[in-house]
Amino acid sequence: MAYYPEPVARLIEALQRLPGVGPKTAQRMTFFLLKRPVEEVRELAESLVAVKERIVYCGTCFNVTDQDPCRLCADPARDARVLCVVEEPNDLLAMERTGEFRGRYHVLLGALSPLDGIGPDDLKVRELLLRLEQGETAEVILATNPNVEGEATALYLAKLLRPLGLRVTRIARGLPVGGDLEYADQVTLSKALEGRREIG
Amino acid sequence: MRIAWVQLSEVRSYRTLELHPQARLNVLVGPNAQGKTNLLEALGFLVTGRSFRTSRIGEIPRWGVEAASITGELARRASGVESRRSVRRALLRGGDGIWQATGEGAPEWARAIAFGWQDVEIVNGAPGARRGFIDGIAARLYPTHAATLVRYRQVLARRNRILQAHRREPGLDARLEPWSEQLATSGMELIARRRRAVAALQTELARVWSALAAGHSKVEIRYRTALGEAAEPRALLEALARARHHEARLGQTLVGPHRDDLALEIDGADARTFGSRGQQRLVALALRLAEVLPVTEAAGTAPVLLLDDALSELDPRVRELVLRELGAAEQVFLTTPEPLGAAGAAVFDVNGGGIFAA
Ligand SMILES: Nc1ncnc2c1ncn2[C@@H]1O[C@H](COP(=O)(O)OP(=O)(O)OP(=O)(O)O)[C@@H](O)[C@H]1O
Ligand SMILES: [Mg+2]
Ligand SMILES: [Zn+2]
Repeated sequence: MAYYPEPVARLIEALQRLPGVGPKTAQRMTFFLLKRPVEEVRELAESLVAVKERIVYCGTCFNVTDQDPCRLCADPARDARVLCVVEEPNDLLAMERTGEFRGRYHVLLGALSPLDGIGPDDLKVRELLLRLEQGETAEVILATNPNVEGEATALYLAKLLRPLGLRVTRIARGLPVGGDLEYADQVTLSKALEGRREIG
Repeated sequence: MRIAWVQLSEVRSYRTLELHPQARLNVLVGPNAQGKTNLLEALGFLVTGRSFRTSRIGEIPRWGVEAASITGELARRASGVESRRSVRRALLRGGDGIWQATGEGAPEWARAIAFGWQDVEIVNGAPGARRGFIDGIAARLYPTHAATLVRYRQVLARRNRILQAHRREPGLDARLEPWSEQLATSGMELIARRRRAVAALQTELARVWSALAAGHSKVEIRYRTALGEAAEPRALLEALARARHHEARLGQTLVGPHRDDLALEIDGADARTFGSRGQQRLVALALRLAEVLPVTEAAGTAPVLLLDDALSELDPRVRELVLRELGAAEQVFLTTPEPLGAAGAAVFDVNGGGIFAA
């Protein structure tokens, strides 16, 4: 068997670490890139580094941002009394696209997932509690995904927040069960938000 | 409903095959290994889009081919009017070597009930076989059952993982809670539907059994769960709490529908322990036949019956009674290695990958 030259092998190896990319796809990507003009490849490489160097997590809501606090947290027009809790920055974007929600967000950066060894301490839960202690929030909307991980996360948070005496709601089940928030269409998501119910 | 015609291309041992079965009884007769079960499987695949023999669809296309298809027409009679639907199922091998199934046109009312030698395990096998049996029926009766089952299994796997990974930690209860709660909700949903399926079966089972076994004995089916008669998720939650220490020690969830079973009794004696071989086969067959009426009511049309070697190990008198009972079905396919004298049946000789009307 012939071996790849070291730089080729290194790139294949690196690409394979991306989600959803197996050895075959990584090879295909590598040979695709080899054929592209060098400026195009440089642009890709630089944007990879830039995203890591310039993008940070907002210290308040943990959305990805190039300024801290992020634009949403800094916007005085957003209603601080309603806080929408989502799993990932993508879910926040999906929620924003509905144009229905005018409150603020908290991104957990994950969901409870025993199979991946992810427990409450691996999520931005403590940070959520600290935010709520400041007393501005009247309602927390749990907008985690409708799959078993998202549901467990919502149940866990509902129990945790109960003593704080806030209104805690869960978005309605109209979403495709087992699906992801980020793929739900805007109408479905708006309806889920509108139909939210108290939980816990 | 019935299958009006079917055409196979590159399916199992068949290159091509066209079959025009009749309503009522169709007998597929032929020596061993000639393709009787293969054909039955294909008929089931046409109707349901699934194989009753395997969950690996890559086993279905004839060895060495890249594509296979099963095409046909399904007919049903509703308030005196017959309607027909063309169905086409294709199996294609993707570039990655993985087989994909595509299906077009299968009507929502299409149902098939299959019986094969594996079904004897419902009677004499481990509890898992009986759970699989009742879940299969519940899924045919209640459209959301299969999805709940998937969800339940996901929750169970995650809850077990926590029990294994964190059993010695003080925070175990808090970690378990959101999973226990979901387990209780979907678990009680499963139990409720299984109970309804058992109740729907029980009446018909009694009728079918007395027809097959000619009176005398009685067969009973009951749902067995550690939760007694309870129907509320709370009951499962409480049972989990009681089992908690045990669970932490063993690292697995010890109560819930995944631990339940069915009791099958002939005249009050456990059919698994005391039934004769022939009795066990007959109970298994009776269970499948008892499913016909509830499925007919749920789907609005009678299911197609696919009975693989259903008469073997039965004595001549019982065979006679089984054939008489099958006479009432809308469409039946029955395989057998030896010719039977069944009046009015369409007989097809299955031999060397071909089918010949006898
Ligand atoms: N994917 C396939 N491609 C080609 N041949 C196959 C494939 N799968 C199974 N076969 C062949 O089909 C043959 C007939 O199988 P089948 O189970 O239908 O026999 P049968 O008529 O039901 O026999 P029996 O009376 O023993 O039950 C088997 O011997 C097997 O070699
Ligand atoms: Mg066979
Ligand atoms: Zn922010």
